[in-house]
Amino acid sequence: MKFEILVMAFEALFSNKTRSALSMLGIVIGVSTIILVVGIGLGAQLEIEEQYKNLSVTSILVNPVSTASSISRLSADDIEVISEKAQHVENATALTQGKLSVSYSKEEGQYTVLGVQDNFFALSNLEFASGRGISDQELKDRAKVAVLSQDLIDDLFAGNAKKAIGETVSVGGKKVEVIGVIKGSGSSVGPITFDDSIYVPYSTAEKNILGSSGSVRLIVLANSVDVIADAMDELTVILRDSHNLKSSDVDDFRARDQGSRVTAAQESAKTMSALLTAVASIVLIVSGIGIMNVMFVTVAERTKEIGVMKAIGGKKEDILTQFLMEALVLSFLAGLIGILLGEASMPFINKIEGWRVVSSLSGIVIGFSFSIFVGVFFGFYPALKASRLDPVDALRSE
Amino acid sequence: MKNIYKSYYLSNGEEIPVLKGVDAIIKRGEFVAIMGESGGGKSTLLNIIGCLHPVSGGEYFFENENISLAQDDYTLAYIRNMKMGFIFQSFNLISRLTALKNVALPGLFAGLSHGERLNRAKQRLTEIGLGDRMNHRPSELSGGQQQRVSIARALINNPELILADEPTGALDSKTGEEVMRIFSDLKIAGKTIVMVTHTPEIAKYADRIIFMRDGRVIDCNYKLNSTQ
Repeated sequence: MKFEILVMAFEALFSNKTRSALSMLGIVIGVSTIILVVGIGLGAQLEIEEQYKNLSVTSILVNPVSTASSISRLSADDIEVISEKAQHVENATALTQGKLSVSYSKEEGQYTVLGVQDNFFALSNLEFASGRGISDQELKDRAKVAVLSQDLIDDLFAGNAKKAIGETVSVGGKKVEVIGVIKGSGSSVGPITFDDSIYVPYSTAEKNILGSSGSVRLIVLANSVDVIADAMDELTVILRDSHNLKSSDVDDFRARDQGSRVTAAQESAKTMSALLTAVASIVLIVSGIGIMNVMFVTVAERTKEIGVMKAIGGKKEDILTQFLMEALVLSFLAGLIGILLGEASMPFINKIEGWRVVSSLSGIVIGFSFSIFVGVFFGFYPALKASRLDPVDALRSE
Repeated sequence: MKNIYKSYYLSNGEEIPVLKGVDAIIKRGEFVAIMGESGGGKSTLLNIIGCLHPVSGGEYFFENENISLAQDDYTLAYIRNMKMGFIFQSFNLISRLTALKNVALPGLFAGLSHGERLNRAKQRLTEIGLGDRMNHRPSELSGGQQQRVSIARALINNPELILADEPTGALDSKTGEEVMRIFSDLKIAGKTIVMVTHTPEIAKYADRIIFMRDGRVIDCNYKLNSTQ
């Protein structure tokens, strides 16, 4: 019985294809928008997580600031002072950065060279694909060793990380031995991306490879999220003192905490999502009103049919079910098409630079249930009106 | 009072009284025509018999049951569905459905299974001579064929009572006579028929004629056959 009514609903809608298609359009757009919005929200979330995943929310990045009168005095020495004096700091590391040509046999390319301390890899949550990190001893000895990242392995060793261990590569003309390879992480800290860098001991970089051309940064971990502000104040005092700055001098460094940046990015992504969801909801409500309008026209057009149905034994309930079913079929089909459209357009949106959408079940569920809700909600009133028509009046209408 | 329908009523739709105290008894198996001038209340009476109109006063008994008391949609729809079959002047077939599905539609409301419904509809259509037109839509059928489809629809649930409102009004006299021959066959088969018409040639097929004027019955036992 119910199935028959479903078939009849299909037949009725099919007999007026253009109108049915047009009334579905709004819901199609609404549903696909919801799916994309949820997808974009998740994409942004994921992007943020990936970008910052190697840094705990307690980390503080200290960048050098060069003023007209002097260059920044950030150096590995600062780390010692910080570990000695700072109350709110758990761990700290210094790194010096430059860009040099790196070559192996016939392959060659420009890469970021990072002079790092022994605690760098652990502090940045970098994992090793093979080999090991730089040891305390190698740091002291200014050992000519290096850790490579995924990009260099791909470019110089055709992606074979194991083969690279023990090989000698040339960094700015200096020979170093590869002792480890880190896994690709897609993450970065400030201007440094971890995946396209070669890592050498800080001391080696400072004395032999980069020299004074390297720019020095500090990564500092606060004890907890609550003391980040305190730790930053503390750092400023300690570094100013360590750099012998006079009270009239401006800071020759700038400390930025990553946690607040992550939170800010997440907040803005959420706001964006909420805003777009609101827009999509409005689209759906408007399309619901469209469906209601179409159903009213349909009921008016088929008044005589309703009279006939009643005369041959159709109950109010039957008429109500019939028209509600038509609205439901409309919104159901529109929901399905909307899902397909939304999912199908994701690859194209992903091709746009800086955009990222992620397909998600929750987006589909939200979009689809919204379309069904719209169908039932806005289809009910016209169907109710149809069911309440007086049979004699309905039969008399033309 | 077995197997008798009886209608008494006083009806006044708002301030305009259409039926002003109509008394009539229609027995099972009778073929009754209702005649009278336009606006005399013929169709209103038919609609009340067909449970489409509630009465405003008086009592209407159908199969010993006081219908004027049973006003709920469910009961009335059931009576219309199972006990009565409607035939209209303008056929009132649903244009997007085939003849077969039009005929089967009352079976849907009766809760028949899909197969049962279609079987019965096929049977009725074949009986009425439209076995080869089952999958045509109403627009592909002639007026006489459409009216035969609507007769088949009226018969699908095997009702006791056939209600016809000017069944030949939209047909030429030849096809009109064909339709009336079907009515005569239905009478022979034991159906009760109540038909509204204003054509004496059509009314002569009835056992008796109820004449109405200005909401009242003038004569409830007029016989056209005898005058012929």
